Amino acid sequence: MPVNGRKRMVTITINKNQYLAEEGEIFLLTAMRLKIDIPHLCYEKALDPYGSCRLCMVEVVTCGKTEMTPACTIKVHNGLEILTDTPEVIKHRNILFELYLAEAPKSEVIKEMAAKYGVTKTRFLKKIVHDDPLLGKCILCGLCVRVCSEIMGTCAINFINRGPFTVVNTPFYEHNPDCAGCAACARVCPTNAIVFEDTEKDRVMRSWSGTTVPMMTCSSCNKPFAPEKLMHEIQSRLDPQINEDIRNMCPECRRRYISRREMKIPIT
Amino acid sequence: MKIQSARDLESARREGLIKIQPGRPRIGVGTSSCGIAVGGMALYERMKKIIQDEYPDISLVKTGCIGFCKEEPIVSVSIPGKSLVLLHKVQPDDAERIISLAMEGRVPQELALCKIQDWDHITGSLVHGGGFDGIKDYDEIPFFANQKKIILRNCGLINPEDIMEYIGTGGYFPAFKAITSMEPEAVIEEVKRSGLRGRGGAGFPAGIKWEITKKASGEEKYIVCNADEGDPGAYMNRNEMESDPHMLLEGMLIGAYAMGVHEGLIYIRAEYPLAIERLITALDQARSLGLLGKNILNSGFDFDIQIATGAGAFVCGESTALAASIEGKTGRPRIRPPRLTEKGIFGRPTDLNNVETWCNVPVIIAKGASWFSSVGAKGNTGTKVFSLVGKVDNVGMVEVPLGTSLNTIIFDIGNGGAQGRRVKAVQTGGPSGGCIPVRLFDTPVDYESLNKVGTMMGSGGLVVMDEDTNMADIARYFISFASGESCGKCVPCREGLKHMLLILNRLIAGKGTVKDLNLLKELSETVQKTSLCGLGQTAPNPVLTTMQYFKEEYDELLEA
Repeated sequence: MPVNGRKRMVTITINKNQYLAEEGEIFLLTAMRLKIDIPHLCYEKALDPYGSCRLCMVEVVTCGKTEMTPACTIKVHNGLEILTDTPEVIKHRNILFELYLAEAPKSEVIKEMAAKYGVTKTRFLKKIVHDDPLLGKCILCGLCVRVCSEIMGTCAINFINRGPFTVVNTPFYEHNPDCAGCAACARVCPTNAIVFEDTEKDRVMRSWSGTTVPMMTCSSCNKPFAPEKLMHEIQSRLDPQINEDIRNMCPECRRRYISRREMKIPIT
Repeated sequence: MKIQSARDLESARREGLIKIQPGRPRIGVGTSSCGIAVGGMALYERMKKIIQDEYPDISLVKTGCIGFCKEEPIVSVSIPGKSLVLLHKVQPDDAERIISLAMEGRVPQELALCKIQDWDHITGSLVHGGGFDGIKDYDEIPFFANQKKIILRNCGLINPEDIMEYIGTGGYFPAFKAITSMEPEAVIEEVKRSGLRGRGGAGFPAGIKWEITKKASGEEKYIVCNADEGDPGAYMNRNEMESDPHMLLEGMLIGAYAMGVHEGLIYIRAEYPLAIERLITALDQARSLGLLGKNILNSGFDFDIQIATGAGAFVCGESTALAASIEGKTGRPRIRPPRLTEKGIFGRPTDLNNVETWCNVPVIIAKGASWFSSVGAKGNTGTKVFSLVGKVDNVGMVEVPLGTSLNTIIFDIGNGGAQGRRVKAVQTGGPSGGCIPVRLFDTPVDYESLNKVGTMMGSGGLVVMDEDTNMADIARYFISFASGESCGKCVPCREGLKHMLLILNRLIAGKGTVKDLNLLKELSETVQKTSLCGLGQTAPNPVLTTMQYFKEEYDELLEA
């Protein structure tokens, strides 16, 4: 509970060492702050903990008994005791890395991360990924799906099928007009699996069934600078609105325009 | 008519009793899913026509299932003043004779399975009478003799589509007692003292869950019945709902009163159309008698139940996935805490109990916690219904006190292997459970003992395997089931089970090596320890137990 508006500091034990930590903080963040290494793939500050990647599994010690729990789902409280590097944790983590190496055989991020923990090859059959829109890199952590629906409110992509047949894409693998082209999905993807490109006129979400979003061109320099739909979406939420004369300018032209106006330099 | 007082309820009971013992011959045809599957409905229709045309003096009703699936269709014949006789394997062609003999106060001897002189409905008792000396007594049939019927007390004996018959056997009296004469806290205390544990498999004390829900902050709460029974080979809940739906509704009504909740939900899988139909009928009847709805029993207490159907995903039996499914979202589990009791359906505190847990509640209130806890074993009170299936002689629905040994269930009640074959193992708890070899059959069936041998109670499926069953193949079947039902959210379950299946396929094709065996074991342990929900955490149990108890069968599969 906050005391005088500040978070209460409590004592926790990690790998037999004692530390001070903020009560209620997500333990994974505490560990990161304390430079205690815990691998993880599906945690994103902007979203609630989801617990799907299972890589941040640690052991919680209660009354002498240990229980495997993902670090992103543990809240710090006084007397919390955690072990992050027991043989048990390492054993299971290594198997999980092997599963990831088989699931996303083309992902350099996974390869590097696994190698960092000593896992360089997998004993499991690798997925065949020759026509995968996510390039054989997707680990189905769900971040793209969640950021699209929970942060952007768009819900342009979602999980399709279930179990081992789960994939992420647009409904019916068709061009999805709901997509605003914000590319937040690509931004949060931990394995850089999502590809898009900006052409002269459009942003093409290659991974999402070629969903195409027209770009807005700058009213000053005529260069495309942001997806039209996204700009309209953002502008509709602003109150007060951006002044008419700079509303449809790219950030660069807008800066130039404002500074020249302030300095009373004639605008050309 | 609304029941508003003890007198109203008593007159309803008398009316119900007259339906059960109408003073003229009454014939009941077993029409649960199992009975219908072997022609029960055709038999009922045939009888209905004959009776309409020629014998209007006979009362014909549909009943539920008495549990002896092997002997279905089962017909009960009740002659006033005489024992109730159960006829078995009745064919439509027998209809004419059964009816004409019943008119003469007789039954066809060669179809008779057994007779019942009197019956303890727990909430009340019935005396049928004597006679029929040539027919074996109910207690002389080993399948019945070793059972103790508390939950299944009415199943197969009353008409599940008529609330009056349920009231006739003392039904809704416990609810009346609780609502009109007990404080809600006292009801919870009674359930706590009874030691009733969750029958969905985890075994969490029901009374404590109720207490947590009651104390949870928030005005609007839900109670939910989990009727998403999906284990292969398990159909206890289906039978309970098809044969005696009011027992479930009454349990929920008492629970709602105790927890101060006004909205109830039954989450039932769409694959149970008959159970859904009978529940809807039961709900309508209960509402028309004022046992659900506003101002129940004139007490000022409001409560109603709605039905939510699932779309057939096994994982939706998991509490958080179930909640998501009811909310209209994809049935994927989420991390816990928060538990449902804190943040459940639509964010409201929710108490979720299995069908059978609810079904135990009326008898606890009727007979008291001490009576209930005298049945079963210490820490494992009461009875449990099992569906005894697979390669066992007597296939059926079995209710025994907790703590009964597997030997009793499989050999005394089940009469050992089908067609005289040797029993090798039994799978308890469906895809979440493990296979127990016959040498461990003295294991008492309770939550802890089953865990100790590597399996679990689960919801109550018992699949018997005989000498012809290949245990690796059994393990493969269950992994294939679990992998197909995995929601795909976390990697150990989604990818791990897939690779377990691939390795098992390789082994069974005779192309496996010792390395494969070791990898299978390692992977199983990781899936068990790191999966997000119960589905993944328990899915490797069939593999791990068969590898532990039937190692030689795996070794035989290895490449020479």
